[in-house]
Amino acid sequence: VSHSVKERTIAENSLVILLQGLHGHVTTVDLRDESTATGRVTNVDAFMNVRLAEVTFTDRQGTVSRLDELFVTGRNVRYVHIPDERQLQAIHRVRYFGGRDKGRKEFPRAKHK
Amino acid sequence: GGAMSFLKRFPPPAEGVRHQQPDTEAVLAGRTLGAGTLYIAESRLSWLENSGVGFSLDYPTISLHAVSRDLNAYPWEHLYVMVNAKFEEEETKEAPMAEGEEEEDSDDDVEPIAEFRFVPSDKSALEAMFSAMCECQALHPDPDDEDSDNDYEGEEYDVEAHELEQGDIPTFYTYEEGLSHLTAEGQATLERLEGMLAQSVSSQYNMAGVRTEDSIREFEDGMEVDIAPVVAGQFEDAEVDH
Repeated sequence: VSHSVKERTIAENSLVILLQGLHGHVTTVDLRDESTATGRVTNVDAFMNVRLAEVTFTDRQGTVSRLDELFVTGRNVRYVHIPDERQLQAIHRVRYFGGRDKGRKEFPRAKHK
Repeated sequence: GGAMSFLKRFPPPAEGVRHQQPDTEAVLAGRTLGAGTLYIAESRLSWLENSGVGFSLDYPTISLHAVSRDLNAYPWEHLYVMVNAKFEEEETKEAPMAEGEEEEDSDDDVEPIAEFRFVPSDKSALEAMFSAMCECQALHPDPDDEDSDNDYEGEEYDVEAHELEQGDIPTFYTYEEGLSHLTAEGQATLERLEGMLAQSVSSQYNMAGVRTEDSIREFEDGMEVDIAPVVAGQFEDAEVDH
């Protein structure tokens, strides 16, 4: 994973950081051409390029095959399924990475009697 | 096999070659193009048959690449490369995976897809080939990313300057960091406002963790913070604005 200053900034200011939290987890990625790939996430970079290992790949015709490793360019990622047990943690992470504004809105407005 | 019209003669890339794999067969849509050398260079991916003709692929056109060792899907271990482009091929195509099904390449609505397979005679090289391609792909991020949250038009985020508190890029602090940046006056204001908040909220929700008995005691140490009940309308327009 390249951690140039620019890439870190991109990641920290977008939802890519959510996907980077998936390292090591088995995830399904839906591709733009309607094929899908399920495998263990080994890397997600700031451009949303996704690298998976031990992949079950279903092409757009429905043919299933296994791939040892797969790299999908960010442009071709349509959807990344976040594993259920991680969803709450992922949401939590986004809340606290949201900027000042997002943090502010979560404060309940003081009610006046 | 017959000549493919997209094959051209060109010199092998000389610069930025991350990996070079000789004795590699190239296959397009199930049809072999011959044996040659695969050049995984930073600028483009090239394959040159031993006779000197070949083709190049630009990374932005490559949708994905993979290492396939599934011999049920294809009889030889190879580097699979899916390209978002059309390549002229001869009429009869036999793609082992498709099993006689017609491909939808005449359908104008479907994006063009070409499937290349690079079969090295040295199977152990596949890892290195795959990794070299990953590195090169990362050098070519999508320029027109419509969905982009990634547009970065500001100055580079200067980590060092930020840490020295000289950066002029607005940023946000974690709670602890932010607290340490407040003046004494600012801290007192924060505590007063938090106190008011706790008062009004706890009276309705009995919210844990905002103002416990312990924390009230802490704040009372040496600080004269007025924990007065909120007067209706007193701070109605106030924004919490740090």
